[in-house]
Amino acid sequence: MVTQMDASLVEVRGVSKTFDGVVRALDDVSIEARRNEIVGVVGENGAGKSTLMKILVGLYPPDKGELYYRGRRVPFPKNPKEAAKRGISIVYQEKGVISSLKVYQFLLLGHEDKYVKFSRLQIDKMKKHAREILEELHVKCDAEDFMYEPALSTQKMVEIARAILSVRLECGDDDITPIIILDEPTAPLTVEERRELFSDILNMKKNVSFIFVSHIIPEVMEFTDRVHVLRDGKLVAHYDLSEEKITEEDLFRAIVGRESSEYIYKPEVKRVVSEEVVLTVKNLTKNGCYYDISFDLHKGECIGIFGPAGSGKSEIIKTIAGLISFEGGVLIIRGQKVKADELPHVRLGRGIGYFSGETGKELFLNWPIVKNISIVNIEKILRKLIPVISFNAEKKMAEKIVQRMRISAPSVNTDCYSLSGGSKQKVSVGKWFERSPDIFLLEDPTIGIDVGAREDIYETTLEMNKNGTSMILVSDDPKEYSILCDKIMFVKDGRIQKVLSPEKFRKVMAT
Amino acid sequence: MKILGRNKLITPVIIQTLKTHPVILALIALLVIFSGLYPERFLTPLNFKTILRQFVTLTLFALGPSIVVVTGSLDLSYVGIWMLGGILVWLLMPILGMFSILVIPLLGLGTGLLIGVIQVKAKIPSFILTLSLLVTYSGLTATLSGGYPRSVRGYEFITATLIPYLLTAFLWSIPIIIVAVFIMKRTRIGTYLYAIGSNEEGARLAGINVDKYKILAFTLSGLFTGIGSIILYQHLGGSAPVELNLMTVVWPLVAIVLGGTPLIGGSGGPQRTILGALTFTVFYRGLYLSLLHPEMIQLLVGLLLIVSIVVSARGLKGVTIT
Amino acid sequence: MAGLLLYREWFRRNMTTVGAMVFAIAIIAGFQVIIPSFLRYHGIITLVYAMSYFLIAALGLTFVIMMGSFDFSVVSLLKLAALICVLYIDKLGFLVIPLALLISVGFGFINGLLVTKFNVPSFMATLGVSIVVEGTALYLSKGFLHIMYDKTFRALATTFIAGLPSIFYWAMGIWIVSIFIAMCLPFGRRTYAVGGNLIGAGLSGINVARHRIYVFMLSGLLAGLAGVLYMAQLGGGSMEIGADMAIPLFASVVAGGTALTGGVGGPHRTLLGVIIITWIEAGMLMLAIGHDIQMVVFGLIAIGMSIATIDRRRIKIIK
Repeated sequence: MVTQMDASLVEVRGVSKTFDGVVRALDDVSIEARRNEIVGVVGENGAGKSTLMKILVGLYPPDKGELYYRGRRVPFPKNPKEAAKRGISIVYQEKGVISSLKVYQFLLLGHEDKYVKFSRLQIDKMKKHAREILEELHVKCDAEDFMYEPALSTQKMVEIARAILSVRLECGDDDITPIIILDEPTAPLTVEERRELFSDILNMKKNVSFIFVSHIIPEVMEFTDRVHVLRDGKLVAHYDLSEEKITEEDLFRAIVGRESSEYIYKPEVKRVVSEEVVLTVKNLTKNGCYYDISFDLHKGECIGIFGPAGSGKSEIIKTIAGLISFEGGVLIIRGQKVKADELPHVRLGRGIGYFSGETGKELFLNWPIVKNISIVNIEKILRKLIPVISFNAEKKMAEKIVQRMRISAPSVNTDCYSLSGGSKQKVSVGKWFERSPDIFLLEDPTIGIDVGAREDIYETTLEMNKNGTSMILVSDDPKEYSILCDKIMFVKDGRIQKVLSPEKFRKVMAT
Repeated sequence: MKILGRNKLITPVIIQTLKTHPVILALIALLVIFSGLYPERFLTPLNFKTILRQFVTLTLFALGPSIVVVTGSLDLSYVGIWMLGGILVWLLMPILGMFSILVIPLLGLGTGLLIGVIQVKAKIPSFILTLSLLVTYSGLTATLSGGYPRSVRGYEFITATLIPYLLTAFLWSIPIIIVAVFIMKRTRIGTYLYAIGSNEEGARLAGINVDKYKILAFTLSGLFTGIGSIILYQHLGGSAPVELNLMTVVWPLVAIVLGGTPLIGGSGGPQRTILGALTFTVFYRGLYLSLLHPEMIQLLVGLLLIVSIVVSARGLKGVTIT
Repeated sequence: MAGLLLYREWFRRNMTTVGAMVFAIAIIAGFQVIIPSFLRYHGIITLVYAMSYFLIAALGLTFVIMMGSFDFSVVSLLKLAALICVLYIDKLGFLVIPLALLISVGFGFINGLLVTKFNVPSFMATLGVSIVVEGTALYLSKGFLHIMYDKTFRALATTFIAGLPSIFYWAMGIWIVSIFIAMCLPFGRRTYAVGGNLIGAGLSGINVARHRIYVFMLSGLLAGLAGVLYMAQLGGGSMEIGADMAIPLFASVVAGGTALTGGVGGPHRTLLGVIIITWIEAGMLMLAIGHDIQMVVFGLIAIGMSIATIDRRRIKIIK
């Protein structure tokens, strides 16, 4: 019988990390990875998952904490190579693949010193070792393929193989059990590719342990043996899925937090939804992302598309925004059928505004607030007689928004770079508020910002709603849906499962 | 089956090579066309000798920068190294005697190092950096030379005929080409440079010291140009020009792109550049023999540059082009 | 307190311009000390002549750099426009001017097309186009020097008003119009937007591809205009025109504070950069400093100012 000590491979205790003396990324977190298992580390964005992983692979030192390797206390690794010596290696979420390299080159990237003779690479030896590990892990590609040739899930497998190989080469031992950190591995994959990837990973469980970092709850539920839940830098829950009966909702609640006392603002306004349909989606399909999506959006209505990450909700809203093209089905905006590959600016011309909480994408950070607000509202600040920008009108508009959104900044001429996250979000929402599009798309509008800013943003969006703007919301925060939406569509695996009213939704979330 | 064998497997290999190196088709096509148009001018030993000479010149200029292009950057300093190096040889001749020719590779090495460090630390786009450096060097050259090309005697042995009918400069350039291709294809450095060109961030995440290797790429480029310039020096008459001619800067670029090294990097390299250089030389020579106006030829060269970039950029969906 | 913060903001944003201004004053003062006649009438006229056409061309380049791209063909287009004027003035009279401008705009359009539809990096595209343009110019001029005899044409640039040649007023007028376009017209905002955040620009409703083509066309137009006026000023032209102008032109845009990363700076700053560059040039000329050392200086300035103005906060990977 294997004792607890034997089974434990890597354990961290009491890890804390603060950045710049202000941002508390991790606060006394302890997790453990054992032999022959897949352990999950889940949490929202900003919960501290990636910081913890970076500490494990030696990219940052922790402020406090202890590391145990196979039961013995060891110092934290100072760089990825040292981490590999301890058996820990990571497969990054994105940008990990170097497509122009051949598979064997990529597999052994960084370890060429073991194949070098008089500065000449022993390519045949490299190819041989590459083929060995590809076969061992049943990876469906050839060592001489270019990395861009195999399917995405196979590429991920090659990345995993590379991580395992790194550990073996650094430790000089083929029998060691590596601990591979998978950072959101399924993000770019289609639904079918995910299945494949997971079955391959499960086959490896005998010899490799995995730390699976994710916020896709169904996957975590299905494939992990134990789960650690991080929220706001703290470890808030630990479930052993083989022993306890945990539902997806349990996990949801642990991730997002049960306390609703944060939200003081209670909407009293009964939303008036007219009969007029502004947007129709019929059988919208994009292979690998979503299938047969159909719904109508009425004027003044706010529809929420809810679901776990990977359900397709993000792709659906991005398609309506014009950032992604769709393959099948019909999209009708204001009675006009639109082309599948229209660019965002054309969609804007049709009255669709898209706002993403990741403000880097749409804000002009090196511009002052005033210019960011006016760029989507140019027509409003032109003078009457000649189409020239009126600086006065521009400034007044910005000041109005800054006041309304309660943005704290020295002046409207402050560069957006220096604003806090919440303020940046407010500038973005503010500019859309001014623009008042017919259809407003919100994706993760309040991600990573404080309670006060959240409130202000909700108030603004509700006001826009009242003024006749129709909205579609996609977010990871269930509370947002119940505050803002008239109707909530639940999607999973790319399909609409059911449509709920806010009351029903709240009930479902509360159980 | 990717094994080369002395049996029917050769044909698939040839087809495979043609598919991945379409420039060979262009080369063959040009040879056929020009031979057909004016065989009496094109198919002469003199012409082939000229082609070889020009090919050597072009290759020696294009080898170095093609290493940098693999990483996704550009290096336009080669002409500057050659020109400034040439004048330095003349200046240092009285002091260092025959050894003064060695100043060119040293200059190349130092220049490459300088460019690499500035590019990496100050994050200036390489094209403007190397272009400005080129202009600076050209100014220095003109100043030091007083405006006249200065030739130096004493290095004729470099290009003295060793094998009859075979250009000695060509013989010297062979080892240089081999070393360049070897570095890119058979060493760790080459693998890392391709990785950086393909996905710089991914290379960093994989633990490669990207800064160090980028600097190395520029340094190698300068070094190869410097060494090549030794041969070029005598090959082109024992001196270097003192005025900057835009064509000498552009032609190697055409050779690189035509050969199949994409400007965003990640693939291609010296072995392809040789093909590009050969094809371009044939192209230019063929046009020259057609007795077209020199302006027309220049125009066609410009068009060729544009067309080859467009064709090689076709795979660039989703990459932000500024 | 807020006032102090604002000052700091303003200073940081305009640091390069302030630095450039200080540098400019230092240069001018320095030259004045060394060459007593520098700022006297004769000297000023030389400076103005050197500066005017240069400024017009630099303004076109400024818009392109604001947008985050690069236009290497400005100098060649200038040359071509100038040659067209001198070659066809006899046959076409003053129609050469719209012809020259049309051709420059046309090449600008081609630049824009190559960059947007064919995904060619702007440096390469404009380099290729400039070779084609040079070839055309060479073909048309046959390498000879051509003299502009038409007095009316020359009067475009050389008529003296209030002691300064008319080309100066052209340049100033275009400068003011450029500032107006950049600051007060939606077109200018869009240019900054595309340079500041390509995706964000699209999301803000800007037709990015179309706008970039417009800007390249504008650059072509200004280059052509500069060429026309240059021919009027100089009275003669051959292939020698503008051979060494590319780097000083670029240096003057960057020296003024318009960064290569795009989204900042603008035509108002370019005047400063042009003054610095052309006055350095003129001063060096008066000091009989070789043209070649000038090249060295300009190369160094180009590198130095690029380093100083690049916004490192935004770009993580620069090739």
